[in-house]
Amino acid sequence: MLSDITIGQFFPGNSPLHRMDPRVKLVVIFAYIVLIFVPQNWAGLGVCVAYLLAGLLISGLPARLLLRSIKPIVPLIVLTTVLNVFYISGGETLVKWNFIHITTGGVNNAIFIAVRIVALIMGSSLLTYTTSPTTLTDALERLMSPLKVLRINVHEISMMMTIALRFIPTLIEETDKIMAAQKARGADLESGGLVQRVKALVPVLIPLFVSAFRRACDLATAMECRCYHGGDGRTRMKQMKMRRSDGVFLASTVLLCAVVILLNILLASSLA
Amino acid sequence: MELLKAEHLSFQYENPEELPIPVLSDISLTVRQGEFVAVLGHNGSGKSTLAKHLNAMLLPTGGKVWVENYDTADESHLYDIRRTVGMVLQNPDNQLVSTIVEEDVAFGPENLGVEPSEIACRVNEALRLVDMLPYRDHAAHKLSGGQKQRVAIAGVLAMHPDCLVLDEPTAMLDPKGRREVMDTIRRLNNERGMTVVLITHYMEEAASADRVIVMDNGAVVMDGTPREVFSQVEALREVWLDVPQPTELCYELRRAGVSLPADVLTVEDAVTALAALWEGSV
Repeated sequence: MLSDITIGQFFPGNSPLHRMDPRVKLVVIFAYIVLIFVPQNWAGLGVCVAYLLAGLLISGLPARLLLRSIKPIVPLIVLTTVLNVFYISGGETLVKWNFIHITTGGVNNAIFIAVRIVALIMGSSLLTYTTSPTTLTDALERLMSPLKVLRINVHEISMMMTIALRFIPTLIEETDKIMAAQKARGADLESGGLVQRVKALVPVLIPLFVSAFRRACDLATAMECRCYHGGDGRTRMKQMKMRRSDGVFLASTVLLCAVVILLNILLASSLA
Repeated sequence: MELLKAEHLSFQYENPEELPIPVLSDISLTVRQGEFVAVLGHNGSGKSTLAKHLNAMLLPTGGKVWVENYDTADESHLYDIRRTVGMVLQNPDNQLVSTIVEEDVAFGPENLGVEPSEIACRVNEALRLVDMLPYRDHAAHKLSGGQKQRVAIAGVLAMHPDCLVLDEPTAMLDPKGRREVMDTIRRLNNERGMTVVLITHYMEEAASADRVIVMDNGAVVMDGTPREVFSQVEALREVWLDVPQPTELCYELRRAGVSLPADVLTVEDAVTALAALWEGSV
């Protein structure tokens, strides 16, 4: 169950999206995430989804991979959809029974928001699938480098993220192992009320923490053995260069923003 | 040429309010270029502590350690020392820094400030040396233990060290992974002339070295070729160590009155000795 988490699941490849400057990718994804909340009508959202599908096609990733990234948030989507169906009213009444009152407006709104969430998650998964975690944190380090003026150690932040991403799968594996070990000793992790279940997790968390600290100590030794001494004088194997295709990509994103905003203005109040 | 040299090295952990805990006492040894040295000892004999002195992770509280011409206590050459003596640790999971294999191998040279194009060459070369080139853009956590440990070796090789110090690199691996790692280490020593210091508690691994150092209680108690060391079965048992199975078999037979040589080390040796005995008796 725990291995479903998609953070940092890089899918190696050689598509234009893989080769794109990761800084551009980050900026574009950030713009996309903001943009996905802008459209007030189906046309605008449609354009965003089309843009996402184009990205998916270019990336050459199997579509099933992206669908899998949706899996962990299915309960969230279901919950918001149900809430919207029941609580938003407007348009014609479809069902009216007791306190239940479903309208076309509610259904419309619910689907709209579900599509929005799916597009949001898929977009960000597209980034993590086509960019290796180290490249990603490297790009973040470079994008945040102006913060050095404020005496923020950007290199250390990005190194921490690299290590965190590296150890997520390792610690998840370890959690599974500890849970199995505690179950073998008769620990009951799956029944009882919320308080009881949280209490049952303590014997899992304590060994996990102890082991995480031990790993951290080992890793620090290994890093020192490999001459790590912070960000000063450090070079990078992968250089980041803006190419023409990156420019095209940026321009297309700007265009997307313009189209969505324009559609909002032209088709104002069509959703409501 | 002498690559590593310890002179009257001793080390103790400070213990507030009580007496300091001695770990190493008066160790003097040299390791020459191209040698394959195995360091044996039971748990707590100080062998890992000794390893940590060879790349200035720990500094002696008495005596000196020299790496090439650098005194490990001289902080201005710290990175020269750590570049010269590459260290591989026991747990393969805890020494990989990056998620992707090639990025992890690049970590060392990146820290040394090597030119980007040169780093890419070194990463290729190092991965080829450990037979992991096809895995260069794989996720590190999905590899087997033996593969992870070979990536860790590649990560050290990419710094172009003169010597590898491996601290029980096979202790957490299954037999297959152990064989992969040992083959890689032996090949690096044979074909590339890499100096190797292998800390281990497996007799079979030590038997394939040029030289075996046995440690007990923080001191070197034996130092010689595997044949010389393993023929002293009683002395080894005294420091809680076993001998390779062929050696033990011939030792027991000798004790039972069969005339066999004392320096039997491998299965082949044992077969030859027993065959000679058989022919002599016919």
